[in-house]
Amino acid sequence: MRLWGGHGRLRHQRLQTILTVAALATAVALPVVLLSVGGGVSQHELNDLENAGYQIVISAAGLHGVANAHALTDRILAIPSVTAASPVLSVAIDVFLGSGAAVPSLAEGVIPDQFTPTLGPTESGLFPAHLPLGDPTDELHYANGTYAGPANYSILVSSPFAQAYSLSVGQSVKLAPTANDSQAVAYNITGIFGVPLGTLGEVGAFALLLPLSDLQVMTGYAHGPGVPVPDAADTLEVAVTGAVATNPTALNQVRNEIAALVPYYGVSTLSQEAEQLQTAASVLTGFYLALSSVGLTVGLVFLALVMMRRVESDRRSIGVRRALGLPARSIVGRVLLQSVVVAGLGAVIGVVAGILLVEGLATWATGAVQEAAQLAIFVPLTLAELTGAVLVLSLLAGGSAARAALRLDLAEALR
Amino acid sequence: MTGGVVPTVELRGVERTYESGEADEVRALRGVDLSLPPGEVVSIEGPSGCGKTSLLNLLGLLDAPTRGEVRWDGRSVGGRTDRERARLRLERVGFIFQRFYLLPTLTARENVELPMRALGTPRADRQARASALLAEVGLAGRERAFPHQLSGGEEQRVAVARALANQPGLLLADEPTGELDSENTEAILALLGRVQEERKATLVLVTHNPAVAGRARRHLTMRDGRVVGDARGA
Repeated sequence: MRLWGGHGRLRHQRLQTILTVAALATAVALPVVLLSVGGGVSQHELNDLENAGYQIVISAAGLHGVANAHALTDRILAIPSVTAASPVLSVAIDVFLGSGAAVPSLAEGVIPDQFTPTLGPTESGLFPAHLPLGDPTDELHYANGTYAGPANYSILVSSPFAQAYSLSVGQSVKLAPTANDSQAVAYNITGIFGVPLGTLGEVGAFALLLPLSDLQVMTGYAHGPGVPVPDAADTLEVAVTGAVATNPTALNQVRNEIAALVPYYGVSTLSQEAEQLQTAASVLTGFYLALSSVGLTVGLVFLALVMMRRVESDRRSIGVRRALGLPARSIVGRVLLQSVVVAGLGAVIGVVAGILLVEGLATWATGAVQEAAQLAIFVPLTLAELTGAVLVLSLLAGGSAARAALRLDLAEALR
Repeated sequence: MTGGVVPTVELRGVERTYESGEADEVRALRGVDLSLPPGEVVSIEGPSGCGKTSLLNLLGLLDAPTRGEVRWDGRSVGGRTDRERARLRLERVGFIFQRFYLLPTLTARENVELPMRALGTPRADRQARASALLAEVGLAGRERAFPHQLSGGEEQRVAVARALANQPGLLLADEPTGELDSENTEAILALLGRVQEERKATLVLVTHNPAVAGRARRHLTMRDGRVVGDARGA
């Protein structure tokens, strides 16, 4: 016995089946990609939070929005149980090498002796124990609201960057906030640091570390449009003593003390950050599912139409079965089985195609797309639920066709 | 397998009207009264469009009358559910359709097995019976052929075998030998006659073939939806 229609209609029905399977596979592949990549990125960020060496983070609404970073660091360090307060300014800059070509890179400005204690166990192994960036407090260059002292002009270069351009300690490179060579200032490479390549693409791994004040002056985030000095940073990460870090009540108390100092900034513990991240991930997952449901709905409507069409073209066979006295459940079961088989094929192919697509992006894509694809997580339960949902919905799609099959006028169908 | 009980079938004042187009309707049957006691062999003759197939459909519970009543064993079937009517067809009626209506996705043997499968006959029993029936209609060795691989005559013989699968009490045949040569016609008629004899089944034959009609002991003639002749004798 063959499942699909008669000999004469076989080719036509096969084409319909292939198109329906393709539509459903496409509709299923989309949520597979979105959920696996979205889930992977969220999980990666959660892992980063769990492995961080700090417990409280201060952030501002705008880009580079934390002002008076050096002074704020001093005030926070004055709070008992705070062991480190590290402002971080991240800016995209251009690096000019010997050839004169500008290489885009990510520069992070830090206060050396505050930065190292806020690194997590994984990251801390990638950096020298004491960053060779000159003044560990970054106060020689910057002090009391002025940038009067001599800049150190020292930088650390990430190992992929150093490897890609054969850079080594002792060499000099020029840095500029834009691709304009005339603004570039020479810096000495005083160290190399590692990056976890598994989670970063090649360009993302081209990173530099330099004193906060040097980066502020070079990029203009030392100076506001008027006289006031912004002394800008993006975030300020705060580490506390072990006893406080493991005591949620005590940690929250420190957070409140910091919040009292900077009521206009966001101050949150990492567990709060994690909750926010999970909430955001849930919202995104809901959005992905809503987006995917559009494709799935179209696919299932297509399936319903094809099943109706199939009942119409098989009306004589269905009429004969009913005329012979075959029970309704047999007629209905046959239509539903066809619907489920088509949907099941579409779902399985869609899942496989989604996985292959993500794997392909992780291998052959570039930049952020590749990085995100490399973080993708395929949860078997989610994939099974997705497939199950398609199968259940295919019963609805086939149900309307089965109902039509039972309502066929027998005399008409056999005429 | 014991087979279905042979029913007494009666039609009382039966009319059947079909919608045709927006305002037109076709009166296929007009006030037909008919009684078929168990074991009768009846031929129905008449010109095309006179209502023969419509009458056959009503007798076999494939259709319901617009007016009037169809009774089986003295009981009206009008109030029966679709499920009950389907069960009656499965257990007690064997159809031989004019255009065979074999299922194209099933082999010859699977087509014959289909009614038995629906009745819950064990696989081995139904396979053996299907093979035996196919052998009886001269199709031994053709069990695995699909309908498109069979000639018109072979398809018709498979259709006859399928109609006999559940040993029905009422056999309804619409031009059962229309595609057969004289030799095969004789073989099929002999088979139907033997089944009718063995089971005392009621056999209704719609035919234009005098040789087929000659097998009947009662001859109905139809014209314009009415039974205009009801004669007995070979």
